Amino acid sequence: MSKKKQAAGTNLLYQLIAEARTYDDVIVMGRGDPDFDTPAHIVAAAKHAMIHHQADVAPAAGLPALREAIAARVKRVNNIDVDPASEVVVTNGGQEALFLMVLAALGEGDELIVPEPNYNTYADSLAFAGGVKVAVQTAHEADFRADPAVVRAAITEKTRALLLVSPNNPAANVISPADMRALVDLASEHDLMILADDIYDLFVYDDFVHTSPASLPGGKERSLTLNALSKAYSMTGWRLGWIVGPADLMARVAELKAAISGGTSIISQHAGIAALTGPQDAVDMMAAAYARRRRLVLDALDEMGMQYGVPQGGQFVFANIAFTGMDSAEVAQRILSEQHVLAYPGSAFSKERKDYLRMTFLQPEEQLVEGLRRMKLAMASL
Amino acid sequence: MASQTKTKLLARHAANAALNIPLPGIAMRDAHDLGADEPFYPLDERIIAGAVEALESGQTHYVDVPGIAALREAIAKHLNAACGTSWQSANILVTAGLQEARFLTIQIIGAQFEQIGVPTVAHPGLQKALGVRRRQVVSLPVETELGCLPSLDEIAAALKNGCRLLYLESPSRLSGAAYTQNQVARIADMLAQHDAAAIWDQGLARWVDEGCSSLAALAEGATAAIGEAWHGIGLGSWLVGSIAAPTDWIAPMQSQKQIMAICTSTASQYAALAASEIVGETHQQRLGQMRRQRAAALAMASELGLDLLPGAANNLLALQADAAARERLAEAGIDFAAGEDFGARDIVRLNIGAATATAIEALG
Ligand SMILES: Cc1ncc(COP(=O)(O)O)c(C=O)c1O
Repeated sequence: MSKKKQAAGTNLLYQLIAEARTYDDVIVMGRGDPDFDTPAHIVAAAKHAMIHHQADVAPAAGLPALREAIAARVKRVNNIDVDPASEVVVTNGGQEALFLMVLAALGEGDELIVPEPNYNTYADSLAFAGGVKVAVQTAHEADFRADPAVVRAAITEKTRALLLVSPNNPAANVISPADMRALVDLASEHDLMILADDIYDLFVYDDFVHTSPASLPGGKERSLTLNALSKAYSMTGWRLGWIVGPADLMARVAELKAAISGGTSIISQHAGIAALTGPQDAVDMMAAAYARRRRLVLDALDEMGMQYGVPQGGQFVFANIAFTGMDSAEVAQRILSEQHVLAYPGSAFSKERKDYLRMTFLQPEEQLVEGLRRMKLAMASL
Repeated sequence: MASQTKTKLLARHAANAALNIPLPGIAMRDAHDLGADEPFYPLDERIIAGAVEALESGQTHYVDVPGIAALREAIAKHLNAACGTSWQSANILVTAGLQEARFLTIQIIGAQFEQIGVPTVAHPGLQKALGVRRRQVVSLPVETELGCLPSLDEIAAALKNGCRLLYLESPSRLSGAAYTQNQVARIADMLAQHDAAAIWDQGLARWVDEGCSSLAALAEGATAAIGEAWHGIGLGSWLVGSIAAPTDWIAPMQSQKQIMAICTSTASQYAALAASEIVGETHQQRLGQMRRQRAAALAMASELGLDLLPGAANNLLALQADAAARERLAEAGIDFAAGEDFGARDIVRLNIGAATATAIEALG
């Protein structure tokens, strides 16, 4: 068979991205990269920093002013109280934050409970740390809810932490306040750490509500919470994120951060201060656009008769394609080659999800409409 | 109730001495900060223009994991011109500064070998990167007379004992001492003889008069060369570095880079790209100025009877300094890097700059 068939996980995605680039008329519903450029006032702040703050030097944990802005943000949005001096570490995007969180909380043989499907870098980072993933499967019929009772059943002697990504990638479910409460209680009861990923917290739809585990009683002292400017401010190329958590653990996170990359670009940090402390209308505009686009995509999927977990938050939908009888890698490949539409195969997220496709809302509406039209043609031809 | 899980985690981290070693600052804050890794220079306007233009034209999105194509090409070209290598873009991985390059090479190339040989004296970032995930380490003792580089005999002994991967700095990040062309040739021979490989930190090579021999030129298939892009250009706090290595090493490091960073900041990469076009231009002038400042500092130091370590890179100077001498430095308001953090007792490392003379005076 061709080499294409052999690629798995992230490599499979990169292969599809590379092929997508070769088509002039491609419509990208794959990569989680917002189509909006970074708001102009943030770029202007970066330019100002290049001239006036180029020689600023920050400790590995980040510029004090940025850590203050982050502390204010997590208080305002997530209701988490942190001390900017000792409980915030700035990172090279959410991705480095994720890697650091895993390294800080898990070692050789330690088990991490991971509701699935989930963002695959957690499994990759855990493998680096020598930890063991314990998957808790969820179903699209239940909108990918991770039932706390099922999570409880997965806990063993070796369980050290619980991964809570809400809104989730790719499942797009939001953990309800009641479930979050139950999960935090469960973690307290079994003395588990919580790794919380709030990267999509500003994108929540309908009446769903985002809750940070660290905001709940008993949550903060056992939670490391990551976030980043990538998705919320369309700043994926800037590589700016953070972790907040209790001071004792954050001191270890800071050492790990220094060991892995020494620091974070001073220019991105100044841009981050502008993003967090400046006008927020661009975020509101983008959130409103994603809400409209989501409706559009869901309507099209309904028309195609596709099943999916209702995206309660985030920037994508995870749809079931079992009716095709084909592996999602093959379906994604054919949609791309035949219709020049890039969607991500579920098999890249986990081997149990080879009958799903992830589609993002990260294109202008007319592009999305055209992408969905082509997708319908592709699906009909399968 | 205190969490047992957390207590155990904290104890495990606290016991990891390597991970807890302090690092010097990356870039100097001002003329009196002689302790950071990079000297203090204002950025050329053209570098800023390159970064601004990229951002304003929408280069604010994810880019390729190994770096933007033009920068990889520029780095390959520069390395080839400086070292006599024949790297292509595919051999280059752009990193978020030198520490990420250290981490990726040590952890990912290191994973392909049973042991890694590391000098007992080196930049603390080396120990720190090793501390993240345990590796079997073989210590390469250094000699003060060689500016704290391991002697060729020590390297030979490690290879003879079965160590197949070495981590070496040339120039040394503590003293600036560098292996001579003959020594580099002998190291390359030894690697070939033992089918061994090396991670070669050559970030400071640009500050050596007449340039400095790169192991990569003689053992291109067995060397991963790391460094800043470029040391002393003013981008220290922007964090751009690179790894040049055979493509079969680049592939797993690229996968790891995706896992831990996705890509390197676009502003930093486009700034480095703009820098690649002028790096030669500003270099001669800066090198000349450093050479003069260093010569003056050396003369003054020998007049005061201070013990200097041999060095070759003009950007820094290492000398013996006991606790009392350091106190005098501190009193004079001079920041320096402590040899202890590099694994060397009673040594201080000073950057060469306007305040170096003041520091020497204080030490004398
Ligand atoms: C759940 C989740 N966490 C973290 C990240 C990392 O994002 P970044 O490094 O771009 O901030 C992503 C990116 O897609 C994500 O989906």
